Amino acid sequence: MTIAVVVLLSAPLLAGGLSLVVHRSTWLHGINLASIGALVTAETVLTHTVLSDGPVTALGELVYLDALSTFILFIIGVVGLACSFYMRSYMDEQVARGVIAPSQLNQFFFLFHMFVLTMVIATIANSVGIQWVAIEATTLATTFLIAFWKRRESLEAGWKYLILCSVGISLALFGVVLLYYSSLHVLSDASQGLNVTALLPVADRLNPQVLKLAFIFILVGYGTKVGLVPMHSWLPDAYTEAPAPVVAMLAGVLEVVAAYAILRVRVIVDHAVPFAFAGELLTLLGFASLVTAAFFILTQHNYKRLFAYSSIEHMGVAMIGFGIGGPLGTFGGLFHLMNHALAKSMAFFAAGNIHRRFHTVEIEHVQGLAMAQPWTATALLISGLALSALPPFAAFPSEVQILTALASQGVPGMEFAGTSGMVTVALSDQFSRVALASVFLIAAVLSFGGLLYRITGMVWGTPSEGIVRGERWTLGHLPIILLTIALIGFSMFLPHPIKKLLEQATSILVIQ
Amino acid sequence: MQGFSYIGSQLVDLCSALLLLTCFAIVAQRRLSACVDLFALQSSFLVVTAALVAYLTGNPHIYIAAGLTGAIKVIIIPRVLKKVIDHLNVKRELVMHVNVPTGLLICGGLVMLAFFIAQPIIPLGNLLTRDSLAIALAIVLIGLFTMIARQKAVSQLVGFLVLENGLFLGATAATYGMPLVVELGVFFDVLIATLIAGIYTNRLQDAFDSVDTDRLTVLKE
Repeated sequence: MTIAVVVLLSAPLLAGGLSLVVHRSTWLHGINLASIGALVTAETVLTHTVLSDGPVTALGELVYLDALSTFILFIIGVVGLACSFYMRSYMDEQVARGVIAPSQLNQFFFLFHMFVLTMVIATIANSVGIQWVAIEATTLATTFLIAFWKRRESLEAGWKYLILCSVGISLALFGVVLLYYSSLHVLSDASQGLNVTALLPVADRLNPQVLKLAFIFILVGYGTKVGLVPMHSWLPDAYTEAPAPVVAMLAGVLEVVAAYAILRVRVIVDHAVPFAFAGELLTLLGFASLVTAAFFILTQHNYKRLFAYSSIEHMGVAMIGFGIGGPLGTFGGLFHLMNHALAKSMAFFAAGNIHRRFHTVEIEHVQGLAMAQPWTATALLISGLALSALPPFAAFPSEVQILTALASQGVPGMEFAGTSGMVTVALSDQFSRVALASVFLIAAVLSFGGLLYRITGMVWGTPSEGIVRGERWTLGHLPIILLTIALIGFSMFLPHPIKKLLEQATSILVIQ
Repeated sequence: MQGFSYIGSQLVDLCSALLLLTCFAIVAQRRLSACVDLFALQSSFLVVTAALVAYLTGNPHIYIAAGLTGAIKVIIIPRVLKKVIDHLNVKRELVMHVNVPTGLLICGGLVMLAFFIAQPIIPLGNLLTRDSLAIALAIVLIGLFTMIARQKAVSQLVGFLVLENGLFLGATAATYGMPLVVELGVFFDVLIATLIAGIYTNRLQDAFDSVDTDRLTVLKE
């Protein structure tokens, strides 16, 4: 158990250190794969332990693992593994084309490992404070990865990301300080005051006023990192400029980790404050993200930005799920996080392939993908369908679960809306449920139409002169196939351990 | 003993107020290097506040935090920023999005807002430092405002650091410091963030021949 945790932390750390001294690219990739492999193995062991023994702490209460954090670790592992395979062909081609010097590979891998390490720490930390430190560290590790090509655009995107996320995260720190402030009167040992294990048992005695304020700061802070509207403006730029494997990690994992940080605090807040408070705020931000993103998806002419806005949309959907809460909404939200992570990393793998071949991000300049790159075209179509939440892909059941929860339970707090002061006060309960469900559906259909319309336009037709036709099989295609299998498979049959993890994670988040 | 703690809490209030005052000075200052000096001054007030709290409450680990603040925010970061400014071709904030008087008025409003937000939770705090939480929030808000109102990359960075100072004041004053591991981590993050932002500023200068963030408009819808 402790060994597995140590492996979890030391694998990326060691790999990061080695990446600085090793110079052969084969070795760098080997180290990367070994490190992610060790990570996945350790996760499997931990999943087993958590499922059989329940939540565990390790390393002197510093590490706390329950079904929820193990589930997030699982996503980190799967997407990380897929990225590592993809990077093999992607980075080598960049070096071969002379886009980057071979020495820059060292820098790239070092930062990549640090990125993975900080996300792992953010997931398994018992203390909300250490979690904050780790999430800020993810910003620092990724900012140079986003600006990796060192073009003017990428520098701009990197600077925007650094400043917006640092500020957002600083606000979250104020929330963490407030959380600590509230625990001082309740806990005898102040050094434990930020530990989830210490806060949860006494959560109902914490001061509700302070917790409310703390939650708002934390939601805005980590919400910036998730990319929720209106704190999202860094996201499309960063996703357009960063190298494809990095974006896959940003979109697939980092957003999930940040959402997890919100959920962790939310459980504590829910014990002391009426459930509706956090639920309403989450739903509000979720709807803002969903509707805004749907609009931008419709008007998009850059395929990377298209996927970036689709990320915002899906995180919005997941937040609505968490906001509505209850077993159905929460389960749907968690499930949706996973499906989005798988589909979005695949979409960005495809986008990376297209960009390398066509050298443009404009949708209208890309045509005839099916002829030029049949494998990539298939991957693009599959990820597009999956992101549009069509059956038989796993995002369909999760989105339907969230919609069902919305239509049957409505947004929490609507019934005592008199105190909440939302716009919907005057509306009757049933009417507001129907109205919100329709808004949800319309936004989902709009983004589905927009996304598929753009993608099919890229796939069909004939490629313009000068575009090489045909696609060689590389290691980078392996993750695409595996992700496809997972996306389709999970919609029909959820493997037992994953299902159990999801159910237990849901029961952690739902307060009876 | 009563009188002693009364004087103590007055002193902490005084120091927090001085921190807030330097915020206003930063908002009013147009020269970049003077902004950095003011930031260093503000950080040294922060060191004094933290040391006072440490002395009055007998929490030795706050001394460590105070010492680190002194080393990092009074000495290292200002030096790094001075170096960055020397490398740049701009010494003055020629254009601000908001002129100085308006900026100061807005900051006054922000202070009132901070006290308004913090009012319900102030009575819960420790006697010694209760008002500091509201002041800390005010500093955070003013730091945010500075980042929005200025357009040079360096002054945005100063805004961020001011914001961070506010957070540290909040953590020290309201809660007598967070657990040491967390504080160390926060210091580490702030230091690295500043270094990275410094490197960025140089790269922006090279790529755009300017550190006006207004020029960063390549990426648009």
